[in-house]
Amino acid sequence: MMNVRDRILSQIKVNKPSSLALNEIPVFMGDDSLTNFKKNLESISGQPIEVNSTNEVESIVNQLFPSAKKIASSIIPGTVSIDTSSDLVSLEQVEVAVLRGEFGVAENGAIWLPESNMINRSLPFIAQYLVLVLKKNDMVMNMHKAYERCRPGNYGSFIAGPSKTADIEQSLVIGAHGARSLTVILD
Amino acid sequence: MSVNHASSANTFNRDFDRTTWHDESLWFVRQKRDKAVFSVSEFQQLREVASNIKEHTLSSLDHYLIEFEQNALSNGVHVHWAANAQEHNQIILDILKQNKATRIVKSKSMLTEECHLNPFLKENGFDVVDTDLGERIIQFRNEPPSHIVMPAIHLKKEDVGKTFHEHLGTPANEKDPQRLTEAARQHLREKFVAAEVAITGVNFAIAETGSVVVCTNEGNADLGVTFAKVHIACMGIEKIIPKWQHLGVFTRVLARSATGQPITTYTSHFTKPRDGNEMHIVILDNGRTQQLGREDFRNSLKCIRCAACMNTCPVFRRSGGHSYGFTVPGPIGSILSPNLDLKKYSALPFASTLCGSCSDVCPVKIDIHVQLYKWRQIISKENALPISKRWSMKLLSTVLSRHGLYNLAGKIARFTLRWMPHSITHNTLLNSWAKSRELPHPPKESFGTWYQKNKLK
Repeated sequence: MMNVRDRILSQIKVNKPSSLALNEIPVFMGDDSLTNFKKNLESISGQPIEVNSTNEVESIVNQLFPSAKKIASSIIPGTVSIDTSSDLVSLEQVEVAVLRGEFGVAENGAIWLPESNMINRSLPFIAQYLVLVLKKNDMVMNMHKAYERCRPGNYGSFIAGPSKTADIEQSLVIGAHGARSLTVILD
Repeated sequence: MSVNHASSANTFNRDFDRTTWHDESLWFVRQKRDKAVFSVSEFQQLREVASNIKEHTLSSLDHYLIEFEQNALSNGVHVHWAANAQEHNQIILDILKQNKATRIVKSKSMLTEECHLNPFLKENGFDVVDTDLGERIIQFRNEPPSHIVMPAIHLKKEDVGKTFHEHLGTPANEKDPQRLTEAARQHLREKFVAAEVAITGVNFAIAETGSVVVCTNEGNADLGVTFAKVHIACMGIEKIIPKWQHLGVFTRVLARSATGQPITTYTSHFTKPRDGNEMHIVILDNGRTQQLGREDFRNSLKCIRCAACMNTCPVFRRSGGHSYGFTVPGPIGSILSPNLDLKKYSALPFASTLCGSCSDVCPVKIDIHVQLYKWRQIISKENALPISKRWSMKLLSTVLSRHGLYNLAGKIARFTLRWMPHSITHNTLLNSWAKSRELPHPPKESFGTWYQKNKLK
């Protein structure tokens, strides 16, 4: 007797239409400038800050979050150490996470964050505030170029702005369950 | 019991102001969609490309499912197959039991709604916490979602305030969306951190890599999955796309069509579980292979569940999602549901003006209004029409096919409309068409008579 899998596959074989060609995706161009990225990031409630060197990241973070006691980072000396085996409580208490974004997408303000840049898979989502540091020249124009550049790895996410919802009467509320704000420091 | 859309819509329409508010809320989303779409000059081309990828995939679906399964397995992911809702739910129950899980979170998944997973698990002693804010609201209220992207779009902030007061202890009369969301945030973060199993839907499954992509704005899918030891992702067989590169096309059209955002806040790619954790993918048929065999309707399986067709539909906007009585309401649901139960859902393809706006906004170019029309043909052939409609159609076809009878009927109509009092011609008991509609002023003569007099001699 056929198992469920084989039954589904054989029904598909019988019912599917005759083979249809897969066309090439045309080349779509766009504006990959920093200005365009910043404009689109702001439109999705992200805050871009340009600096001259990575050395400035720490003071910017301190200015933005003067009372934060628990900062986890792979870029600046944080105040809590988080790793892949951190327990739930330490993760849940992180106030600010400062992580390196791989590259930005100019057309929509999204930033690619692969697991290798997250310190811990949960960190970018559970931290109260998220800061992503991004190289000014690490921009691609659109999602086509973005998927040429990134690979699946184990886990990765395009993050476009802070966590948000409009589930109550279409009113936009920033800070649903994840990060209450997203600051993007461009170094 | 078959769904009576017209009568449910009638109930919905009793509150005139609320219906108008519902209509305007959805139209506002449609306008945001337009703004986002018009700002991408190649959008129409992207629709074409997206449609081609989906059509191609459907024509080799068995091949791509096998490729997807192989890659997922080699990523260390468990793959399960389910022919129907019951099998799907049983697979999930077994995983929960094997892991002795009691704390379960779920991000939005229309497929688990379709399978009525939550009530099934509840009967078996497992409580699932829905973590999408809109879904949590309706879960507290014990209601189904009324929209596939905005599940609580039918509720006002006062309704949500009352629900949260009862379930989360927010102050009575609290109706500020910001404060209500904050209360949900505190409540749900506890659930995320404690979760043992996280269930998610799937927006796209990539054959080439075995990955699944889940899109959210709140981050609730990632919060659930990254904390839980076990991730169960549930998908229909039609979620497959061949290549990683194809995500570039779909992530450009999905959020723009859905809410007018350039992309969802979180577009997350789950390929391999964390060391020591488990990832399961449940692949469901539940009538989809049958729909694939229906030549006129198979391309409804291209749908990426953006809900643009609902937001633009004049009938949906003024009748509300619950009036459809099907997990996926609106135009797309009305072409998916008759496949599953023609009798039960025979009213739905008629819940449309056939204006075609749904097809115009569809990011994967499904000819929704044409399929609505074709389902009507099938429904009337199979005698699945409601009696009133069956007889009025029969009468109409008799009159329209007989020249003399048609002329006579025209004369009678012109006469009665002119001389009968409005209270009788527009009596909604006799003439349900006249509900909120005004009949035109009758001309003195028919077009036929006028033409005979005026044609060039």
